[in-house]
Formats: sequence, C-alpha cells, structure tokens
Amino acid sequence: MTLPLSGVRITEMGQLIAIPHAIKLLSDMGAEVVRIESCGRLENYRASSFYENSVDGAFWNRCANFYEQNRNKLGVTLDLSLPAGRQVLGDLVAVSDVFAENFTPRVVRNFRLTYEDLRKIRPDIIMVSSTGYGQTGPWAELGAIGYATEAASGLAYMTGYEDGPPVVPEIPYADYVAAEHTVFAIMAALTHRARTGKGQRIDVSQTETVSSTIPEALLDYTVNGRVQPRRGNADSTMAPHGNYRCSGRDKWIAIAVATDAQWRSLCAVLNQPAWAEDARFADTLSRWRHSRDLDAFVDDATRPWDHIKLMHALQAKGVPAGAVLNGKELLADAHLRDRGFFETMAHHSSTQMPPLPYPSRPWRFSKTPGVARTPAPTMGEHNRLVLSGMLGRTEREIESLEQDGVIGYAPVRHSAPSVVSLEAQKSLGRILDYDADFRQGVLP
Amino acid sequence: MPESALDGVKVLDLTHHVAGPYCTKLLADFGADVVKIERPLTGDPARRMAPFYHDEPDLEKSLLFAYLNTSKQSVTLNLKSEDGRGILLQLAHEADILVENFSPRVMPSLGLSYQQLEKANPELVAVSISNFGQSGPYRDFLATDLIEYALGGLSYIFGSNDRAPLKHALRQAQFKAGTNAASAALIGLYARNGGGEGQHIDVSIQECMASCLRDTTSLYTYTGAIRRRQPAFSGDIPRSPTKTRDGYIVPVSFGDEDWEASAELLQAPELLQPQFATPELRRQNASELDEVTRAAFERQDSSDLFRSAHERRGFIYGVVHSPQDLVESPQYQARSYFVDIEHPAMGAVKSPGAPFAMSGTPWSARSPAPTLGQHNREILCDRLGYPAAQLPRMRASGVI
Repeated sequence: MTLPLSGVRITEMGQLIAIPHAIKLLSDMGAEVVRIESCGRLENYRASSFYENSVDGAFWNRCANFYEQNRNKLGVTLDLSLPAGRQVLGDLVAVSDVFAENFTPRVVRNFRLTYEDLRKIRPDIIMVSSTGYGQTGPWAELGAIGYATEAASGLAYMTGYEDGPPVVPEIPYADYVAAEHTVFAIMAALTHRARTGKGQRIDVSQTETVSSTIPEALLDYTVNGRVQPRRGNADSTMAPHGNYRCSGRDKWIAIAVATDAQWRSLCAVLNQPAWAEDARFADTLSRWRHSRDLDAFVDDATRPWDHIKLMHALQAKGVPAGAVLNGKELLADAHLRDRGFFETMAHHSSTQMPPLPYPSRPWRFSKTPGVARTPAPTMGEHNRLVLSGMLGRTEREIESLEQDGVIGYAPVRHSAPSVVSLEAQKSLGRILDYDADFRQGVLP
Repeated sequence: MPESALDGVKVLDLTHHVAGPYCTKLLADFGADVVKIERPLTGDPARRMAPFYHDEPDLEKSLLFAYLNTSKQSVTLNLKSEDGRGILLQLAHEADILVENFSPRVMPSLGLSYQQLEKANPELVAVSISNFGQSGPYRDFLATDLIEYALGGLSYIFGSNDRAPLKHALRQAQFKAGTNAASAALIGLYARNGGGEGQHIDVSIQECMASCLRDTTSLYTYTGAIRRRQPAFSGDIPRSPTKTRDGYIVPVSFGDEDWEASAELLQAPELLQPQFATPELRRQNASELDEVTRAAFERQDSSDLFRSAHERRGFIYGVVHSPQDLVESPQYQARSYFVDIEHPAMGAVKSPGAPFAMSGTPWSARSPAPTLGQHNREILCDRLGYPAAQLPRMRASGVI
C-alpha cells in the first residue's frame, strides 16, 4: 500500500520546531515536502547540538536538532531578498497543496508571501502560519519561542515546586503542542479541500494551542474564581504521588497510588507492614491529608532499590509506577525497543556520521506504517533535483541562480559557533555525565 | 452557518476520561458527526472529575467533561450485553472513524477486536489510544500522567538538578495523546478516501511523550552526554521564569554576543563588571552572577520589560500569565479566545475556544456537552430504525 499522504505536496518555510516538527510528521506519512532555507541567515538548529560536540568542517550539516525535525524532506536554499529567489518560491507554491511557515508576519509581508499573495499564484492553496500569539491582536508582530509561549499560555503559572517560581522543562515544550495541533489543522483543511476543492488560511497561535490543553484550570477560574497553586508533583486526590529517590546517581521512580488495594501492594513490595496499619494512611483521603509525611517515608523506602527493578516489582502487584528515564535509558528501554520506536537513519556520506537511532512518531498504522526514508537534507542538497525535476529549470538557468547567489550549498558567513566542552558542562551541572565510549552502544 | 472542515465525517466515539475525548472533541468542533457511547447510569468517569460548576458535584456539572465533549451526541449502551454489542457493530458499520481509549485487553474481551470491527466495516479507520500501545512488555502496565512523564523521558529534564524531577500541572500527556490521535485519524481517513483501506492506528501515550523531547536522546547518540535538569546557577541570564517586581518573566535571548545589550535592557551596569566579561568568566562566577541578575529583574515590571525586550534585536522575552491574566489579556480578548457556551445545567460558561483559526471552516462548539444518554432516541430510532416502543424495554434490561 502507498503511504497515506503520497501525492500531497508541501512547501515549508520553517525554523526550529513549531512548523518543522509538524511537517516532519506529515512527511513521515508520505507527503512530499520541499523545505526552503536561507544561506544568508543560518537557522539556530544548523548551529547547535553538534555531532561529537565539534564544529570542525561543515558543522551546519552535523546538528542533532536539524536531523530531528527535518527527515524525509527535500532541502532547497533560496535568497528571498532577491526577486529570482521569490520567483522560485512562487513557482513552488504554484505546484504545492500546502504552504507552511513560522516566521513573524513582518518577514512574511516583506517576502510577499501573505495568503493574498499566494492565492494569486495558487487559488486553492492551504496556507499555515504558526506564530507565538497569532496573526491578529496587539501581540501579532511579536516573536516568541516555546519557553515564552508556555509561560504566556497559563500552563507554566501552575507548574513548579510548591515553594518556588513557575518552571518550564529543558526543551521548548509548547512548540510541540503547537506542532501537534498544526498537523491536525492541516489534515482538517486537506480533508475539506478534497471534498470541496477549496483552500484556506490557518492561523495557529502557539500560546492558544497550549491554553486549549488546560481547560480544568481556566474553567475553575472563569466559573469558580479559583486559581490553582503550584504544588510540585502532588495530585489533587492521589497520595503518594511523586518521584522518589532510588539507588544510584540521580535515579528516581514515579509512583501514583489511587486506591486502597494499590496502597496495600505498595506497602508489601516496599516491605513496610507498619504503614499498612498506620491510621494516618488508612484511606485515600487520610493518605492525601498526610501526604507530606508519606512522601518522606516512601522516599526513604525506595532509596535502596534499582529504579527499573522497582518499577517491575510494583507493576507486577498492580501499582502504577514508572522509572524516571534519562536520554540514555530511553534508548535502552525494553518496551520502546520492542515496539521499534527508535528508527535508524543513515546520514549523507559528506557528514562522516554513522547511522543513528532517532525517535519515530506518536502513532503506528497497521497497513501503511510511516517510515524514516531519508535523513534531513544537507544544505542545498536537493536544489538541483527540485529546480530541474519539479520546476523544469534548465541546467543553464540553475547555474545562473548559483552564480547570482540565489541558491547555495553553504552558509554565506560561517564563523563557527562556540561550544562548551563536555567536561565543563559536567562540572557546571548542565549534563549528568558523558560516556566516552558511547559510539559502540548506539550503533544499530 | 459556515461550512465545517469535517462535515459528513462520522465518528463512533468509545472514549472516556481525557485523552480520547480530547481527540473526538477536536473532530467534533471542526464538524464531524460524533456519537459518544457511555456506560448506562454512570457514564464517562470524567463526569465525576473536578472542577465542578460552583463546586456542586453532579454528573452534568463537571467543567472538564463539559469542555471535552462539546458538539457530541451521547448514547448509553451496555457493551457487555449482546444487544448492546449488536447496536455498536451497526454503528461501526456506518462510521468512518472509531476511537477508543480502553486498556488494550478491553476491546477484544468485548468481542470488538480490530479484526471483528474490520469484519463489520473494512473501510473503518479504528484508532486506539493507550498508555503504552497495543503491544510490548509494558502493554498492561498501569499509568497516570505522572508515570507517562517518567517513562516518556520528560520528567528527567524538568525541574532543578538538586530536587526531584517534575511534571507539568494537570494532564498534558493525555491532551498530547488526544491531539496526536486526532491527527492520525484524519491521516488514516485521507488515505482511505483516496482509495486506500481502513486500518488500525495504535497511539501510545509514552511514545507521544518520547517523540517531543527535541535532541534529548540524540545528545547521547551524538556526544555520549546525558541531559538533565539544570543547576540553579547557570552562568548566564536564566531562560526559566524569573521573578520581577510584579510577576515572572522568561528571559530568552540569543547567545553570548547579547551581553552588553542584556545589561542595557535590564538597566544593570553591574553586569558589565570585569568578573562577568566573558562567557568563561560568567560560568566561573555563576553564583555571584545569579544574585546580581535576580536583583536586576526584581527591579523591573514584567510588562515594561517585556515591551522593551521586544523593541530590541536578539531578545524574545515571555510573560508568565495566570488564568486570570489570560482572561484579561488584550491579546486573547482581541482574538475572542474565550467563548460563552450555553449549557442546560450550568447556563453560560466562559470557556476556552478555538485552538487555532481556520478562515474557511471556523471552529465551533455547535452544541454543549450532552447530558447522559441525551441522544438515545435520535441515534437508535431515527438513525438505526429501532421502534421507539423498544426503548423502555432496552432501558429496563440495562442495554441503554
């Protein structure tokens, strides 16, 4: 069976995560994606997170984040400040079903890529714009990234230790929430177009997508006037409910006890018969009332355990529990491996990178599984393929685009970014540790 | 009434709690015809989840349930009864999409495995959402949002490195799975409408989490390093929410070259002292830097700082909003994000509205969340053709 989205063509002018991740999920499922980038303005994900933490040579083709977000896409470089560059982009739009971008509205206007502009080229185009705060309203022109939109959405306000400030995770989480909603929006628009022949304009406010996933808190305010406090990992009914220390450096287990039966099983597995008799912990409500004492007890009792062994021991007795996995442990997780969650991808020979495993996607189709076919493009890798094969430009025309700097194969300016050594990162506490012999462990 | 993107798409909704209902809410609010099957008498357990309207616990007053089930029709059905299963298969026969989020053993035990559904309707796109997917050694593990954060890899990189790993407030893992499942359902439908077959789609909440960690596993495969929660003193302007005079701001800037501009923005000449002159020195004097920076932030008002940051190149500051701030936000007001939804038991409820805007086929909560079994007659009699006289018997025998 062909892939579900074969025949759908998308032109992407994305950066970082919000649009590139969304379009990657569609390219995984068979959409043909042409991704436009600039040689003049190197995107941040071509200038960070380097293979072997090294910026030697063509570092822009050796960046983890770029490979994460852009597999299965064709890469074309274009200087959109030049009329010839805009002409190529216009020609791509003319043969595309979807145009997706996540720049500020100013950039889109400057390059004459507004929906009105594109509709003249392709009347049934579906144009998707994803910005921090949406295309309208007083904040429409403001730039944003995930940490800022997570803050603005209302989610961060309620998240954090009970005695501390709001907290956001180490990755720009909100960009993913926005990307996931964007996939749905594009599919809804494609479904509609298949039925009616009509395109349309999709306006994604990254902040609003996140607000749409915290209705309990927003409605508790609009209806009851209540604002939930930050309370760490504590739950509104379950106790114990938290991450508890295990043996080894920075090892933890998550335990969530909802019922009396689960509580008795927890006491049995941790070998604490006295807890089961303790009146403070007799039922759900009293455990919740004494959750602070309870957390301290549990934290002591889990400490000698290996976090993964304890997870299995608790789950075997019906207690919801999960080891807190770090990046290395995720790659080794027995369940994810069994399901083939990580997919190995070879890289362009010029990068001198070996094949490496990458996270795949949040769904599995029984008859048309998506597949990691090609790695993210090296810079300008598909200039010729797309210009000649898709747009019918002659060899001579392509050469003149190269000579005029409309297309290229490397950044115009490329002073290497600075990197902090792994040893320094370790001593600063920015990473837990690093394995010098990691190469053997990760090869397929 | 403007047309909707998913007009004519028929969804049979066997979901409960949060993840599945968010999936079918997205489909319903963009126009799909969603029939929600609920257990007779008690219904979806989310009907008993807080918060409640004016704190009055009632099957029709859960605000979470009300949000998650707009634009749907409710039919009660006992799937363990032969009649109930028969009605369900009739509905599956004419549906385009079926969504369920039981634990993986339940559907087969009801005689509703994918193979059995496929027999009733080979064109059906069946979506299963579960904690760990339909296969693998953790398939039957129990989980809550907390457990998914742990095994999905997000907790480990969330919080301070001298304290326990954190999770987000509320139920992000469930909503994430619901969103992905809705996308997957439409991808499956698109393929089928284009001449393909129906199929079974398996959405694992753990994998939903593990596929949105940016380069967390790649940091290991690329360098051997293990990302973790950050130290309190990083030797740079923090990127996390930082206290100001009147709230919290998220100071995102781009790289080392902005140091002087940061000092100017924060009106903090003390950041230009020699001990902070280079990134190397700033890392060496991280704790002193932290003290100076925090003091500088606490001298500023969030909104002034936010505005002046955005007037400069290289700064993308964010502001932390409380729910109250959001309701009062000129940005949200200008975009009419909150909408009043009229509910039979609660009256007008100011609710979160469109998750994104579509110009041609706008979002719309076409009807409030249904009361339990509200549409039994419409679906059983008008759609499936059961005589109305049979309803009392079905009710008495516990089928509906």
